[in-house]
Amino acid sequence: MKYKDYYKILGVARDASADDIKKAYRKLARKYHPDVSKEKNAEESFKEVSEAYETLRDPEKRAAFDQLGSHAAGQEFRPPPDWSQHFASGSPFESMGQGGFDDIDLADLLAGLTGRARGRSGGRGREGPIPGPDYEAMVRITLEQAFHGTEIELDLSVSEYDERGVAHRVPHRIKVRVPKGVIDGQKLRVPGKGGKGMQGAPPGDLYLDIQVQPHPLFRTSGQDLYVDLPLAPWEAVLGTSVELPTLAGAVSLKVPAGTRAGQQLRLAGRGLSRPDGKSGDLFAIVAIVVPTVVNERERSLYRELSESSNFDPRAHFKLGAAA
Amino acid sequence: MNIDTAEALRLDENSEVSFSQLLVLSGLSDNDLRELVDHGALTPIDPNASSWMFTSYCVVVARKASRLSRDFELDAHAVSVLLGFVEKIEALESELHALRAGALGHEPAAASGTVSR
Repeated sequence: MKYKDYYKILGVARDASADDIKKAYRKLARKYHPDVSKEKNAEESFKEVSEAYETLRDPEKRAAFDQLGSHAAGQEFRPPPDWSQHFASGSPFESMGQGGFDDIDLADLLAGLTGRARGRSGGRGREGPIPGPDYEAMVRITLEQAFHGTEIELDLSVSEYDERGVAHRVPHRIKVRVPKGVIDGQKLRVPGKGGKGMQGAPPGDLYLDIQVQPHPLFRTSGQDLYVDLPLAPWEAVLGTSVELPTLAGAVSLKVPAGTRAGQQLRLAGRGLSRPDGKSGDLFAIVAIVVPTVVNERERSLYRELSESSNFDPRAHFKLGAAA
Repeated sequence: MNIDTAEALRLDENSEVSFSQLLVLSGLSDNDLRELVDHGALTPIDPNASSWMFTSYCVVVARKASRLSRDFELDAHAVSVLLGFVEKIEALESELHALRAGALGHEPAAASGTVSR
């Protein structure tokens, strides 16, 4: 079993008062709670903070934790020989031998002391059936996977209860089909793929938080896609036909004559699919790019164009100055 | 090892859950869930119906409410206010994201003559 220094996690002294512990928790919860925080690794940090507070706020669990001694964070350790008899009386850990703690998580050990298992609502008594806990996982997929739909394999480390009600950390592999058209930030539920229920209760669910990786070409907004379309000045003026990449393969796009920079050309239904069967759109955003190096012939043509054209791109300056 | 593939369901505006399903999926109490509806944090599809139905996106909101209530020790009213702010922040972030993606600021013109290859 790996040691976690709950005092250090909350940033309080080992003799901190209950009030100081609560204050430290609230400050860190404000910083790391995944529903209100934008910190990196907020979810992971909050889990640690929450776990530490769950132990230190409860005098019984805090005393049991204190008697485990002080070790370096992450160090393998075993409870002292008489610890189980003293603190785990009446719990599934009471009769556990020294070797039985190897695959047990410290949080599960301390949670088990009060005869409570962490169920769907975060803690219920052992009396009667207990629904399995829900699992949550963040899944990063590519935009191509989001567009076509995909199958993913998740390797989770979860707590599973044995017949005595003792929680052990076990690896858990789940294969999930992600529907096509999911967007960044989308939440998915996989019914029945959470933890096992106890005494005939149903299993929990698996909740997935989808993160779509940035794409080198396409940007997304909901089910719509955006791609920059660079055009040479003469293509924008005269119009052209270009090969435009889409997630379903390249298409030929007709660019009308007189296309302006920043103009968006909409390709209906070329975005991500929606649950109602329709699809978002793909927008090609026009950028006029100019050559940075020109040869003598090109320079001559540009000069000729400059002399023969009466186009004034700053005509509105004069109108504005006259007003 | 052969593992069955499970289907992931979207939690969005296109599917529905009942009041009792929402209770189970969120871990909220009956009373807390009704209070969240009273405070406007959750809205049934038809508030006048004899048995409330919700869009499945409400599962995301209700689970968030459950976490905020438990982790910050807040009552349903405080959770509703907090959810309102979180929702506003998310809407602004989404608008910012759309702006960055190039979604706003120009009137799109329909492209013609697109040919699939």
